[in-house]
Amino acid sequence: MSSSAGQAHHGEAHQKPLVGSMGVDSRKLGLWAFIGSETLFFATLIVTHLIFYARTSNTLSSVGALELLDPRLGYLAIELTTVLATLLLASSLTMVLALAASKARDWKRFRIWQLATILLGASFVGGQIYEFIHLYHEGLKLAPAFEMHLSHEAHKALTALNLDPSIVRLKEAGEHATALVPSLFGVTFFVMTGFHGLHVTIGIIWLIAIYVKVSRFPESPENPMDIELGGLYWHFVDLVWVAIFTLIYLI
Amino acid sequence: MAIAEQKLTSTAPTTKESFQWRSWLATVDHKKIGIIYIISAFIFFIIGGIEAMLMRVQLGTPNSTFLSADLYNQLFTMHATTMVFLVVMPMNVGIGNYVVPLMIGARDMAFPRLNAFSVWLFLGGGFLLYLSFLTGGATNVGWFAYAPLTQTQFSPGQGVDYWILGLGLTGVASIAGALNFIVTVLNMRAPGMTINRMPLFVWMNVVVSFILIFAFPTFTVASIQLLFDRQFGAAFFNPALGGDAVLWQHLFWFFGHPEVYILILPVMGMISEVLPVYSRKPIFGYSFVAFSGVGIGFLGFIVWAHHMFGTGMGPIANGFFAAASMVIAIPTGVKIFNWIATMWGGDVRLTTSMLYAIGFISMFIIGGISGITLASPPIDLQQTDSYYVVAHFHYVLFGGSILGLFAGAFYWFPKMTGRMLDEKLGKAQFWLMLISMNVTFFPMHILGTEGMPRRIYTYESGMGWEMWNFIETIGTFFLAFSVLMFIYNVLVSLRSGEVASNDPWDAATLEWVVPSPPPSYNFLHIPHVTSRRPLWDAKYPHTTADDHHGEKSAPSQIRYEYSHEDSPGAKEIHMPTLTFMPMVLSAGLTVAALGFIYINQAILGLPIRTASYVFVAIGIVMVFYAIRGWVLDSRRDSPYLGHH
Amino acid sequence: MADHDSAVTHHEEHHEAHGTGFYWQVGGVLAVVTAAEVAAFVYRDLFGHVTFLTLLFILMFAKGIGVVLYFMHLRGDARIFQFVFIVPFTFAVSMVLGFLVLFSHHVGIAG
Repeated sequence: MSSSAGQAHHGEAHQKPLVGSMGVDSRKLGLWAFIGSETLFFATLIVTHLIFYARTSNTLSSVGALELLDPRLGYLAIELTTVLATLLLASSLTMVLALAASKARDWKRFRIWQLATILLGASFVGGQIYEFIHLYHEGLKLAPAFEMHLSHEAHKALTALNLDPSIVRLKEAGEHATALVPSLFGVTFFVMTGFHGLHVTIGIIWLIAIYVKVSRFPESPENPMDIELGGLYWHFVDLVWVAIFTLIYLI
Repeated sequence: MAIAEQKLTSTAPTTKESFQWRSWLATVDHKKIGIIYIISAFIFFIIGGIEAMLMRVQLGTPNSTFLSADLYNQLFTMHATTMVFLVVMPMNVGIGNYVVPLMIGARDMAFPRLNAFSVWLFLGGGFLLYLSFLTGGATNVGWFAYAPLTQTQFSPGQGVDYWILGLGLTGVASIAGALNFIVTVLNMRAPGMTINRMPLFVWMNVVVSFILIFAFPTFTVASIQLLFDRQFGAAFFNPALGGDAVLWQHLFWFFGHPEVYILILPVMGMISEVLPVYSRKPIFGYSFVAFSGVGIGFLGFIVWAHHMFGTGMGPIANGFFAAASMVIAIPTGVKIFNWIATMWGGDVRLTTSMLYAIGFISMFIIGGISGITLASPPIDLQQTDSYYVVAHFHYVLFGGSILGLFAGAFYWFPKMTGRMLDEKLGKAQFWLMLISMNVTFFPMHILGTEGMPRRIYTYESGMGWEMWNFIETIGTFFLAFSVLMFIYNVLVSLRSGEVASNDPWDAATLEWVVPSPPPSYNFLHIPHVTSRRPLWDAKYPHTTADDHHGEKSAPSQIRYEYSHEDSPGAKEIHMPTLTFMPMVLSAGLTVAALGFIYINQAILGLPIRTASYVFVAIGIVMVFYAIRGWVLDSRRDSPYLGHH
Repeated sequence: MADHDSAVTHHEEHHEAHGTGFYWQVGGVLAVVTAAEVAAFVYRDLFGHVTFLTLLFILMFAKGIGVVLYFMHLRGDARIFQFVFIVPFTFAVSMVLGFLVLFSHHVGIAG
């Protein structure tokens, strides 16, 4: 998607080589349509997560164990995710500043903002990898059950409920107690956020490619459009995180 | 008439060049890419047809042991997958690729390299799907792959993984192709070719492209989730571990129902081109035909659960989806009435193409009516998973899509090859195909209502099903013979068929302005369009109809072109250069997908696991190499860098 | 927030509707909205469940609209871009809502 012949051969359009019959740049139109298509991609991932999360919390509520075992409150840390959301939001700001600099043909400033975007994006991916590893050690895995570490009081309270082992299975080994809960929370969470992380990674590669190309050919007239396209994709990836942040981490 | 015939007599000078592999494998020309799509889809059509015949031989007699149950399951799954994803879709895309840029007065698609990428990736996906026959058996779970049958404990081989990744590749190819069509149609139109002057085939292609980019992501996600189930034990669709089998059905059909409109709408567009030409009338109710297509596309997204009445969703959901499904009959009916009204009072010429178009309308009505019966939940609960359903979708897909594609084939063959197909042989083929398809598929209605389930590999004698099954099998052989007649017709006509002029059918749209076959740059002079029938109005200015503002417009500024690759001025036209990068990119993705199939299969030993990593690594390296080359190629072709 | 580069702004003439200062302002607003979301989450016990959800949805959409309209420049850009984004976005939201209804286990809808 990163390149095309555009209107390389579009008729007698000498005066306006960039603009087609819709009065817009072809690549930009294609990218917007692709972004439209991607909204349905992420909508499907998000709705799958919500359906299975609702199922888990319904089951746990019905036996009075949701307070103690809600996987969202038990695993997802608001502090880390706020940092991640802020990183991505900040990278959107630096991206749009890079674009503005390129339109002003201020290549020095462009390079600073573009590098800042790449670094912020890379920190986001790094933060996400840290989050995944952390969750894995906490017992949230790509498996249809999670194993939550329990405090002494929680373990006592859950034991008192005398739960059906198909809903919650309590385990105790020495001082450590865990609850094994059949739930797809880990599966849907990792697949959804993992695919978002993959999109961020592709975005970083794209932005690096733009950086290299613009640095090598600063006089190319198509540079601002190349940057705008990479930026559009980048903002969309940020937009997806706006939705995931609220729908997955907060609600 | 006289004016037209005068113009028809002279033919375009042909430049005979020797066949070069490079000019095809590295091509970015939308016409060559279209031809690659068409030929590949036709080969897959023959393969899918052979699969169908093997199944019919098996079902021709009771208690047959011609095929094993497992092989039968593989065949019906691959028959459906092939016909949907590897035949009708690419055939539509191929004809669209060839014709749409010509129809809107463009010199190529918006993204020629992306276009080449789409066709090679489609072939990579088809290759993976068929490779599975050699690597332990193809998928045998049915084309809609219901859970939990697709889970590893029920489908332990790699067939389902091949299916997921094969369709994943064709899906990416389709989305890339659809984006290309959207941008081409919206942004590459010739001056004056407004949205409301576009030929209806172009209209339907852009509608289908939008359906495609909205519907495919859901299937992509669902199949990725299924892949995670199979490779990493994720259990999205495994009820035994807390997954949800019905979720797969919802996700699949949210894509699957729009998919059937992806199969039929471009063909409806072809019919809307063919009927007016052979009736020598403009299409009746242009806006209604166009916007009913949009309506069908929109409604297609809110009816998906009518495939799932059997799951017992409950009366409110059933009622909603039944009502929405029946509403689709309205825009479809609008189209059918407009087609009939187009022929009404026209100077109808019953060419082969016209016969196929009329055949399409008649057969599609039968399929449409059985479809409405199936939209009713109580009837559907009786008929679901019976041969009645098989009859229904073969009437809309064979009687609809395939007959319509033959109408398009006979109509555009002269443009694509410069030769006419034999009309006499074509008409004989039409009648044989029409009769034998009814012999094959009509008894399925009866068998279905008598209770014969679909997807059974054999049945006991004495069920009362023998006679109709035997008749269907006979019908299949005649159907196959009619396809052989077409192949013979094509081969003979390519060699010695009558030479086609620019405009052999006295048509109205821009593709008939240029030589047959057109030069690589299509139009030496980009036409200026002032009406919906630019060529017609240029040929017959005195019959130019009032445009929709009630004013007589000046005829479009177009003239017949007898240009060729060496025409004066042709050298000035800059076309993108040949490049292998799209093919390398597609090959890289195919190699990586092939490796991924074996990445985490517990039953496999270390060597295969290692080989799978190597494959994935090689694939990724190829992808990066190709993207780099692609960027450099596009820089070389950039419109900014001194080509003007 | 307000200290933007005066060196750049004089280049922002004809087509460029906003100066860099404006982007800093949008970024600042988005940061404030994010902070409000987090605050709402931390003090969620102070609200009723419905109020909490409504608040979060309003904040989420405000943030999304900020990104799409100003960072992606959809506001004031060609209408066709608005079309090819807003139509599938509407499909996506409807699909999410439809699936949530279908899997809500209400009698009559899900068995």
